[in-house]
Amino acid sequence: MNNNNKYRLQAIRHLTESTYILEVERRGMEFEAGQHILLGEPVNIHKREYSIYSGTGDENLEILVKEVEDGLVSKQLKNLQKGDMLEIEGPLGFFSIDPKWTSQKRKFLFVASGTGISPFHSMIKSLPGLDYQILHGVRFAKEAYEKDSYDSHRYVLCTSRDDNGDFHGRVTDYIKEHEFDKDTVCYFCGNFNMIREAMSLLEKKGIPPGQLHAEVYF
Amino acid sequence: MKYHLIQLGCQMNISDGERVRKVIEEMGFVRTEKEEEAQLLGVIACSVRQKGIDKVYTMVNRWNKWKNNRSLITFVSGCVLPSDRERFLKLFDLVFPMSELPSFHEMIHQYGIVTAAGLQPLDKGLEDLQTEKIAEATNEAFVLMPVDTPVNANKNSVLRPDKGIDEFWNITPQYQSTFEAFIPIQNGCNKFCTFCAVPYTRGREVSRPSGDIIDELKRLVGSGYKSITLLGQNVNSYGLDRKGEELSFAQLLEAIGQYGEESVKDFWVYFTSPHPRDMVREVIEVITKYKCLAKQIHLPIQSGDNGMLIRMNRKHSVEKYREIIHNIKKLIPEATLFTDIIVGFTGETEEEFENTRRIMDEFKYNMAYIAQYSPRPGAASSRWNDDVPKSVKKERYHILTEDLMKHSLEYNRKLIGKTVKVLVRGKDRKTGFLSALTEGKIIVRFPSDDEGLIGEFVNVKITSAVPFSTEGVLVLQAVKEMSKTVIR
Repeated sequence: MNNNNKYRLQAIRHLTESTYILEVERRGMEFEAGQHILLGEPVNIHKREYSIYSGTGDENLEILVKEVEDGLVSKQLKNLQKGDMLEIEGPLGFFSIDPKWTSQKRKFLFVASGTGISPFHSMIKSLPGLDYQILHGVRFAKEAYEKDSYDSHRYVLCTSRDDNGDFHGRVTDYIKEHEFDKDTVCYFCGNFNMIREAMSLLEKKGIPPGQLHAEVYF
Repeated sequence: MKYHLIQLGCQMNISDGERVRKVIEEMGFVRTEKEEEAQLLGVIACSVRQKGIDKVYTMVNRWNKWKNNRSLITFVSGCVLPSDRERFLKLFDLVFPMSELPSFHEMIHQYGIVTAAGLQPLDKGLEDLQTEKIAEATNEAFVLMPVDTPVNANKNSVLRPDKGIDEFWNITPQYQSTFEAFIPIQNGCNKFCTFCAVPYTRGREVSRPSGDIIDELKRLVGSGYKSITLLGQNVNSYGLDRKGEELSFAQLLEAIGQYGEESVKDFWVYFTSPHPRDMVREVIEVITKYKCLAKQIHLPIQSGDNGMLIRMNRKHSVEKYREIIHNIKKLIPEATLFTDIIVGFTGETEEEFENTRRIMDEFKYNMAYIAQYSPRPGAASSRWNDDVPKSVKKERYHILTEDLMKHSLEYNRKLIGKTVKVLVRGKDRKTGFLSALTEGKIIVRFPSDDEGLIGEFVNVKITSAVPFSTEGVLVLQAVKEMSKTVIR
């Protein structure tokens, strides 16, 4: 068999009933924090794009996956065992931090919904010293995936269905109620409606379109 | 023995088809337009719309029925989604990605056919072939495996569309024209626009070696080709997969431009389709420098609304696109501008559509290929609710087309009275007229019965204009450098 695209699963960490992290051997894959891969089982003709969750310095690749009802990939991946093989293409994509922003020591605002936190987890792990604030929108506080990975002063858990987070409401509600420096560089990842509304709100608050970057999850 | 090839889809498939023809004809098969008389039947499939794939199923079912009475071999290649590929394996004798075309001879050889003459009408000598090979093949297609795959390995393994693509590119095509040609320079896509299935059918971006591209271009120019189009799904992403080892797209154009300056031949080089994300200023700057680089830019925008662009996962904003157009208009003011637009994409509101109308007015395109959205199987958006009613899509299509016509007419009217150099492409539907294209790909019709002008550059004085085309008269005094046919 051609093994160029085959990677061995090292472990699965289950975070909630439907969300888990695949730890996959990295085999020297170079990537930029924020990029994604195309992932699936070798026997499955269907593949899906997933952002890389782990940092650029980590030994293994980590992928945060939410099981989708009737999904053709995520349900099957959940049942894999350590040692099983995965087919991976990549890294792909352009959702990464432009070095010009870091060299200018800009402030970053990361806005995520659900598993859209994945590329930001990678960015924060890969680029120590980043001056960031992260808004993570979930329905319930239990969906705060590995929140200890973030500096608690920089992380805001926005919960829309319970008030056990740092802010009760959607990330867009948080944005409406707060002010941001106009030179903040903003990155959005998650569902389309959240991104669209958040971008529009921040634009209205005076952040230029050139400082708004989005990766949509479908 | 005869073959019949059906090509569905885009320019890339047409270009691929030219290479397929070459390989088949080198085996001794002769082309026929009648599928009923062919022994080798092939289709280059397109997955852009379900309709195209449905056609393939209809065709192969018909062909398979013919197998009761005739010995024939069927094959499919081109843009095929993995799920369709699985089904095709049961219907076609051969299913292979285009990159495996160089091995076509061996695939046919598996059927016991060494030359085209080996495929005879069903007789005793071929009964074995019929019963043992072809009958078996109707149930299970022969599939090329990656080179290091052991024989009898899992035939359902996903094929890599980019494997062996360099070898495929090196096949000399059976060009369908003597003056216009496509040169594939790049294959695949890394952009994952949500409405498009190409990343799943053609795989990742792979660039062809620049030396091979320039060699092919030189051969074409030397043979008298006058309009050459560099092709790629993301043509201006050229070189990005081989950064530091290969030329960038701007450098490739520079090399072509320099060759154009040295050459005594007159020719125009186009490229399609670029992606706004990779349309760097250097590309525009190099076009300004060289005469042979055609002053025509086809830059798909798809929507004029930032929200829609996010939903389409286009990876550029209207502002970024505007900056590129600003550079084009500033540096190449004479350039014509073409685009692609989708109306009625999932969730498109009236306001979002109006934003697209605004950009149509702002950029004043010469041509826009406007599509009413329909879900493309395999693309991410096919999983979403196609919620804009058909009637609304149709209405938006007509409104936008009318806007486009207004701008096209405005531009074309400015050509009246001017003499323009055109490349004559063929007889026009209007009797007694020939049809030609300017460097900016504006259609020009002029009265002439002289078919000897086809494939030649001539000068035409524009006398009238309508949206999307103009009419003019041949300017004879300006043709002294042309062939005798032209001068007479």
